[in-house]
Amino acid sequence: MLIELNKVVPTPLPDKVIKSSEIWDHNLRIESQSKILISAQSGMGKSTLLHLIYGLRHDYTGQFSIAGKPAKKLTFKQWEKWRRDSISLVFQDLRLFPHLSAQENIELIPEINPSAPSVEEMVDRLGMGPYLQQLVSSLSHGQRQRIAIIRALHKPFRILLLDEPFSHLDKSNQILACELIKEVVEQQQAGLILSSLGSASSLPFDYKYKL
Amino acid sequence: MKPILNHSLLKSCLEIAGPRRELTIASLGCLFGTTLLLLALQFFQDVTTYLEQNEGPKNYFTLNKKVEGGALVNLGKKAVHFSPEELETIRNLEGVKRIGGFMRNQFPVTVYIWPTGKVGMGSAAKADLFFESIPDEFLDFIPASWKWDENSSFVPIMVPKFYLDLWNFGLAPSRVEYPTLSQEAASGMPIEVFIGKNRRATLDGRFVAFSKRINSVLVPESFLTWANQKFGQPNTGDFFFLWKNDSIDGPPRSRKELMGMSQESAFDTWEISPLGNPANRAPALSVLKTGDKIIHPSRIILEVLDSPSTALLTFIKESGYELNREFPEQDLIKKALRGLSLGMGGIGALLSLLSIATFSTSYRLVIAQATEHARNLLLLGFSRGQISQIFFYRFLRLFSWVLTGSFILGHASKYFLLGQATKMNITLPSGFSPESIILLGAYGVLFSIINKRVIERSVHDLIG
Repeated sequence: MLIELNKVVPTPLPDKVIKSSEIWDHNLRIESQSKILISAQSGMGKSTLLHLIYGLRHDYTGQFSIAGKPAKKLTFKQWEKWRRDSISLVFQDLRLFPHLSAQENIELIPEINPSAPSVEEMVDRLGMGPYLQQLVSSLSHGQRQRIAIIRALHKPFRILLLDEPFSHLDKSNQILACELIKEVVEQQQAGLILSSLGSASSLPFDYKYKL
Repeated sequence: MKPILNHSLLKSCLEIAGPRRELTIASLGCLFGTTLLLLALQFFQDVTTYLEQNEGPKNYFTLNKKVEGGALVNLGKKAVHFSPEELETIRNLEGVKRIGGFMRNQFPVTVYIWPTGKVGMGSAAKADLFFESIPDEFLDFIPASWKWDENSSFVPIMVPKFYLDLWNFGLAPSRVEYPTLSQEAASGMPIEVFIGKNRRATLDGRFVAFSKRINSVLVPESFLTWANQKFGQPNTGDFFFLWKNDSIDGPPRSRKELMGMSQESAFDTWEISPLGNPANRAPALSVLKTGDKIIHPSRIILEVLDSPSTALLTFIKESGYELNREFPEQDLIKKALRGLSLGMGGIGALLSLLSIATFSTSYRLVIAQATEHARNLLLLGFSRGQISQIFFYRFLRLFSWVLTGSFILGHASKYFLLGQATKMNITLPSGFSPESIILLGAYGVLFSIINKRVIERSVHDLIG
């Protein structure tokens, strides 16, 4: 798995942002199993980068390829397969289903990751056991973030994208979540890209970029 | 990796109530459209089968000489009879199997038909009528009571089956005193037959059969021969101008009068000419030679092997004859009924098309209302096929209710129509034919395919 960005600039993005970025309008190679931290303030394009890789946005200039294939030439079916089998994303806005329980949200994925710990174990490790049957709409944002992380880990992936995943977690819960993420990513021999407002989490990273 | 597609969870995310009003309108439109389409289809088949079963034979035709001009022009002319030579020529034409002449009554006929079954009870249908006869071999069948002799006061009458239909569908519905009649009931109606000038004789009559072949009011040949001799009146063919010394003497004289004058001494010097052609003079004695006038048929029935041959049609055209298919009105009825079923089918198809369009729009709205959840599911890696399937199954559930409803409504409508048809002595098969059911199935498949495409396209548009 190799993701390459050559002189990629999303549109529209202010020139000022592009000039100060270490990624936009630069060449970036994301190797398999790379652990990357993208830190920037709000509005610099963190989510945009993750959405480009996830195939949600195609409005950019420059070259962007996945495993040697230009992303713009991937068919919808190939994107579907990419999202189903190879990539998992914790959305900044989580994209949980509020009318379903926490457990139902975790289970509502097209395929499960056979090498990931069981749902029960992950839930217990993140302290969400007592809330599993509760409707997501009744959970706090921090609790929802943990459910979204568990759902992302429960699904198969070769690269895990985390879009400000700990913004509403306290320090101890961040540590618990990072430990679980690190373990599952290593087990999977997968890559990781985490976007953050600036503060580095307790995860070990191979590369750190500023947007 | 084990798939854990949880349909009930997926459904709970996508089965949002939807635009109830639009869906109700689409469902009702589809229900009525489909019902109408189904009924039209079945009606077309029933009508075709009924007409085929009740249709007169196709290879019997009548032939007559063209009558041109109005009453005043034709008053003095002889009737347009076929001469023995002409009959022989027609008989020998290619494709002609046999021919027979129609004999007509030469006396006035008035009938009183008593629909109540008893003379004097209720109202009688009164009509001035004509009688014709043809050789028995041309009848579709010879009823048991189809006989007559001079001692008999009962006259068997055969009318076209179509007359009974006219009675049942034309006359009876417009007159409260006339009931609709089955063939059996119509056969039981007493008929008073008044014949001759000033109703000289009254006979009892009855419809003994209803012909699908001959479009005329038929009586046995033996009766008509007897009645013509006894009650027959001279016609224009029996009157002549009498010529004395190269000038016409007085008004036209009947054959009978001329025969009475034959004893006069100058009779053999006189001449006569027909009314239609005064220049064609002949010795008055020729009247005596001819004796009783030989009446040649003016209308003949011919049976052809299949449809009329080109030689026959050419001969008819060249000779100025008219060829009439027996019961041409059946073709009109057939056309009218087929037109009706086509009209019904057209309206049904139009309603169905509208309902397809409404369904499509409604399902776009259904998907639009579930957009957020559908998009999230797609982002989680669910395929468009999986998402579309949920919407499509929802459509199928509703559509199968509509189809079942159409089937039940169609059955109920047909049951009602069957009842009405039975009252009019029309027997139609009950229920729907396998063809109708197969076509309904095909229509359902087509409808589903169209809506599946619409759903897939709408889901496709959710994310790029």
